[in-house]
Amino acid sequence: MNLNESQIERYSRHIILQQVGGPGQEKLMNAKVLVIGTGGLGAPAAFYLGAAGIGTIGLIDGDQVDLSNLQRQIIHFTEDVGRPKVISAKEKINQLNPEVNVVTYETLFTQENALEIIKDYDFIIDGTDSFAAKFLINDACVIGKKPFSHAGILRFDGQTMTHVPGTASYRCVFKNPPPKNAVPTCSQAGILGAVAGMLGTIQAAEALRYIIGIGDLLTNRLLVVDALSMKFRTVAVAPSELDITEFQTYEEVACDLS
Amino acid sequence: MRFYESASTLEKEQDQFDLDMKSFAAGEINPVKFKAIRVAHGVYEQRQEHTYMIRIRCAGGGITPSQLKKVAELGAQYGSGEVHFTTRCEVQVHNVLLQNVIKVIRGLNEVGLSSRGGGGNTIRNILCPSKSGVDPDEAFDVTPYTVALTTRMIQEEDSWNLPRKFKIAFSHSEKDVAFTQTTCLGFVARVKDGQKGFAVYCAGGMGAKPMVGHQLFDFIPDDQVYHVTRAMKLMFDKHGNRRSKFSSRIKFLWKKLDREDFEARFNEDYLPIKGDKSLNLVLPEIENSANDTDLVVEPAEGPEFALWKQRFVSAQKQEGLYCIKVPLQLGDLLSKDAYQLCDFLDHFGENTIRCDRGQNMRIRNIPEKYLGNLYHVMTKLDHTLVQFPAFISNMINCTGAQTCKLGICLPRGLSTEIRERLDKTDLDLERLSGFRLNMSGCPNTCGMHHVADLGFFGKISRKSGNLYPAYNVLAGAKTGQHGQTEYAKKLGEVAAHHIPDFVADFLGNYLEEKEDHDSYQAYLDAGGNDLIKALCEQYKEVPEYEEDARFYTDFGAKKRLSLDELGSAECSAGIFDMIGVDQKSIQAIEKAFDQTTDKDNDLYKVVFHSARMLLVTRGLDAKTDEQAFQLFAKHFIQAGLIDESYLTLVNAAKQRDLSALSANESQVFELAKAVNTLYKSMDDSLRFKVEKKTPETAQKTDSDEVLEKDFRGVACPMNFVKTKLVLDTLQAGQQLQILLDDGAPIENVPNSVKLEGHQVLKQEQDGSGHWRVLIQKVNG
Repeated sequence: MNLNESQIERYSRHIILQQVGGPGQEKLMNAKVLVIGTGGLGAPAAFYLGAAGIGTIGLIDGDQVDLSNLQRQIIHFTEDVGRPKVISAKEKINQLNPEVNVVTYETLFTQENALEIIKDYDFIIDGTDSFAAKFLINDACVIGKKPFSHAGILRFDGQTMTHVPGTASYRCVFKNPPPKNAVPTCSQAGILGAVAGMLGTIQAAEALRYIIGIGDLLTNRLLVVDALSMKFRTVAVAPSELDITEFQTYEEVACDLS
Repeated sequence: MRFYESASTLEKEQDQFDLDMKSFAAGEINPVKFKAIRVAHGVYEQRQEHTYMIRIRCAGGGITPSQLKKVAELGAQYGSGEVHFTTRCEVQVHNVLLQNVIKVIRGLNEVGLSSRGGGGNTIRNILCPSKSGVDPDEAFDVTPYTVALTTRMIQEEDSWNLPRKFKIAFSHSEKDVAFTQTTCLGFVARVKDGQKGFAVYCAGGMGAKPMVGHQLFDFIPDDQVYHVTRAMKLMFDKHGNRRSKFSSRIKFLWKKLDREDFEARFNEDYLPIKGDKSLNLVLPEIENSANDTDLVVEPAEGPEFALWKQRFVSAQKQEGLYCIKVPLQLGDLLSKDAYQLCDFLDHFGENTIRCDRGQNMRIRNIPEKYLGNLYHVMTKLDHTLVQFPAFISNMINCTGAQTCKLGICLPRGLSTEIRERLDKTDLDLERLSGFRLNMSGCPNTCGMHHVADLGFFGKISRKSGNLYPAYNVLAGAKTGQHGQTEYAKKLGEVAAHHIPDFVADFLGNYLEEKEDHDSYQAYLDAGGNDLIKALCEQYKEVPEYEEDARFYTDFGAKKRLSLDELGSAECSAGIFDMIGVDQKSIQAIEKAFDQTTDKDNDLYKVVFHSARMLLVTRGLDAKTDEQAFQLFAKHFIQAGLIDESYLTLVNAAKQRDLSALSANESQVFELAKAVNTLYKSMDDSLRFKVEKKTPETAQKTDSDEVLEKDFRGVACPMNFVKTKLVLDTLQAGQQLQILLDDGAPIENVPNSVKLEGHQVLKQEQDGSGHWRVLIQKVNG
C-alpha cells in the first residue's frame, strides 16, 4: 500500500513518530477495531480511532441518542437526539475521516451474536455500561482469543486494563458480577464527563499501540484513576488459572452512565 | 410445471453469496463490491440501510399458484408481508434484512424459482404478453419461446458478465403489446407462408436516454430465435462499452456504429451458427386448459358482477375459458390475499397465473361457470382495486424514492393522490380502460413513462432556494404497431402537488372531446397537446415555502425534499438537473453580459452559481449564498479540485465585496470555466479526474544507485514526513539524496533523520541557496 498525498499529510504527525512511521500507519489503515457501545467511553475511543485512520471500525449499540448523553458522549450532537447512536457515530467518524470504513450493528451485544461479530476484528474496545455486558465481552474475547480493552467509570473514578490472549482477564480481577444491590443505581451515580473521555482515549491509545506493536500495554495490571485528587496508579493483576470456555448467565444490572 | 429451469451451479453460487454476505457484514467487503455481487443475485439495497429487495425471475410473467404461494410465505416471514408485482412481469419481496436474504433465496429453490439475474449485467427477465396463448387475436403463443430461451440463457456461463443488462421481449401479434422496439432485442410473432417466425428488432431502450429500436429482420423462422439471441449476446459482450455504465446498453452500440457496422459485427457472430440445428430451442408444450375439478359452483349475479366482468374479464381463444385481471394496488398483493387466490387457482391447474406489465396479476384458464367463485374470492381480498374502474389499476408507477436509492419523487404517493382526486370527480373512467397513465420517480423508466398516453417522471425544482418535488410531463407515445413506435414527448413540468388537479382537468377535457376524434393521438394533435402545455403553465408555480410548506414535501414523504441521501446514492439524474440550473444561469449571464446594466450583481451571481453548481456531487446543499461559498472553498478549493488562486474571489463574494469582483471581471468568468471543465471531467461515480501531484513513491534501486527526491517548496514537517516515507521503502545501506530549502528545512530535517538512526553523509548548499543532503539508510 502506498499512501497518497492527502494521506501523507493527514497522518503526518503519526508518520513523524519514530515508532510509527509509514509502516505503522499502514498497519492502522489495515486494522479492524470493534467498539462495543458508543457512549461515554466508546464515543471518544471511536472518534480517535477514526482520526487515526483505522481501516475498519465496527460500532455496536442498540440505543438512540438521548439529551442526557451529550454531556460526555462527544461523538453525538444535539441534532442527533433520538437517532440511533451507531448511525450518528458513523456519520461523525466519516465527517472526520471519510477513508474509514465504519460498519454499524444497531443491536445489543449478546451471547448469541458475540463470537460471530468479534471474529472479524483485530481488537475490541469495551465501552459498555453494565457489568453483565463487561463480563460477556470478557468471556467472548477469551473464548474467541481476541485482545480487548476494558474500562469502567463512575463519578470521578475510572479503571482500565487490556487483555491479550495469555494475560490476565477481567475475571482475574473480579470473578463474578457484583450482586444487584451493591451497584449504585442510576439516580445515585453521576459521572464527570471528562473522566469518560480520559478513559475512552486511553482505550483508543491501547488499541493503536497494540496494532502498531509498540510499547507496554496495560496487560496484567489495572490502571486506576481518581480524578478528584487526580491520581493515577496501577495495580498488578496475576493471570489466574480460570478456564473460560463457555458463556454464563449474565444478569443485567444496567446503569446508564457510560 | 416450471417456467424455467435454474442452472445446476445455482446452489453453489448461493453458498458463495452466503459467505460474501457474511464478509460484507464483517466489513471485509466494501459496499461497492458487495453491490456488484448482490445485484447479480437480484438483491437490491433499499433506501433504508441494510434492508433489501429481492427480485424473482418469472419468465414471460409466468408463475404457478404453488410458487406464488411460497413467495408470499417468504414475504410474510422475512419481508413486508406482501408480494410486489413489477413492470417487468416479475415478483419481488421487499424489506428483507441482510441476515434473512439467504433464507429467502434458498426458500425459492424449493419451488424452482430464482432471483439470479434479477439485476446485474446479464439477461434480465424475458417478457411476453400476459395474454399470450389465450388471446383470440394472436399470431401464435410465444410463451414456449420465452420459457425455452430463458432456461437456455441462464444455463450459459457467458450470460452473467455482459457489459450491461440485456433485455428481451416477445410480442404475440402485430399489435406489439410487449413494446419490442423499446428493448435490447425484440421478437414479434408472425406467420409467413404457413411458417411461424418473427420480425426482429434490436437496440431499443427507454431510460434517461430513450432510443427506439431498429428492425434487424423482417422475418426469421421460429427455429432461429436462439441463434439470433446468442449472436446478439456475443456481439454485445465483445463490443459493448464496459467503461461507462451510462452508455453501455446495446442501444448505445448501435448509435456508435450505425446500422451497417452494427449488422456487420452482428453477422460475424450470427452467420457461423445460423445453420446449426443442434442449437435449436426445445420448446415446451404449454397447454391452456382447465383441470377437472369438483369445486362447488358459487354463482354470482347482479349489476356489480356484470360491472366486474366488464372491467376485468375477457374470453380466451379456448372456448369456454376466461382470462381475468386482478387489479392490484400499486402492484402489491398481500401475502394473505395471495394465499386465498392461490388456493382457489390450485383447482384449475398450474398454468393459471401471469404477471402483467401494468403491475397487475392476470389469471387464465378459468371455466365460465366458475367466474362467480372467482368473483367472490376477489371481492373478499383486502388490498386490491377491484372496486375501481380498470383505468385506476392500469396506472403504472415505479416504487420511487421510498425504497429505491435512485428515486427523486414518490410516485406511489402520487398515484394514490390521483386516485383519490379522480374518485371525487364524476368523470366516467370506464371509458378510459385502455388509457396508460404512467409515472416514474426519476428519469429512469421503471414506470414506463416513455410509452405512456400521459406520463410523468420526477425531478427536483427550486423556489427561492427551497427544493420541491416536481414532475416532467409527457404525452402521446405511439405504440400498438411494431415498426412504428414513437416515444411520448415532453411537454412541460408540473409541481408534484398540482398533478392530481392537472390529471383531473386534462382527463375531463379528453372525455368531453374523445368522441370527436378517431384516436387519442388525433385528440392530442387537435389541441390536447396545447391543453397540456397550458395546464403546465397553470400548475408549475408553487407558493413560497413560508406561505405553504406542503408543496415542499412529496406525497407520502415524512419530511421535506432534501438532497441528504443523494450523495451516497448511485449516480442519479436528479443531480444533473441540479447542476443544469446553475450551468444555465451562468450561460445566460455570460450571454447578456454586454447589455446588462447591473454588471456587479451579475458577476456576483456568476461566482455564486459556479460555487453552488457542483456542491450536489458531494451531497452538499447550501441553504444560503454564504454557505455555498463556504462549502465550495472547503470541498473544491481546499480539496485541490479548483485552483487556490480563486479563493480570494470566492471570499470577496462571500463578503459581498462587489467592487473586488468587478476589478477581477475576467477571473470571475475563468472560475466559471474552471468549474465547467471540472464537471466535464466527472466520471460516472461523480469523481473528478484531476491531475494530482503523483505521490512520492520510491522504486527499488540497486544499493549503489542514489535515489533523488526534490523537497524544495515543501514546508516543515512535511518535508521530513516525505523523506521518512521514502526511506521506509529503501533497504539498509541504500542512499537517498534530497533537495531542501534553506532555513528551517535544512536546520531540522537532517537532525530528524539522524534521530531516526540514519546517517547523513553529506550536506551542501548549491549556488541558488538550496541544500542537497545525502542520507544512508541504516536500520533495515
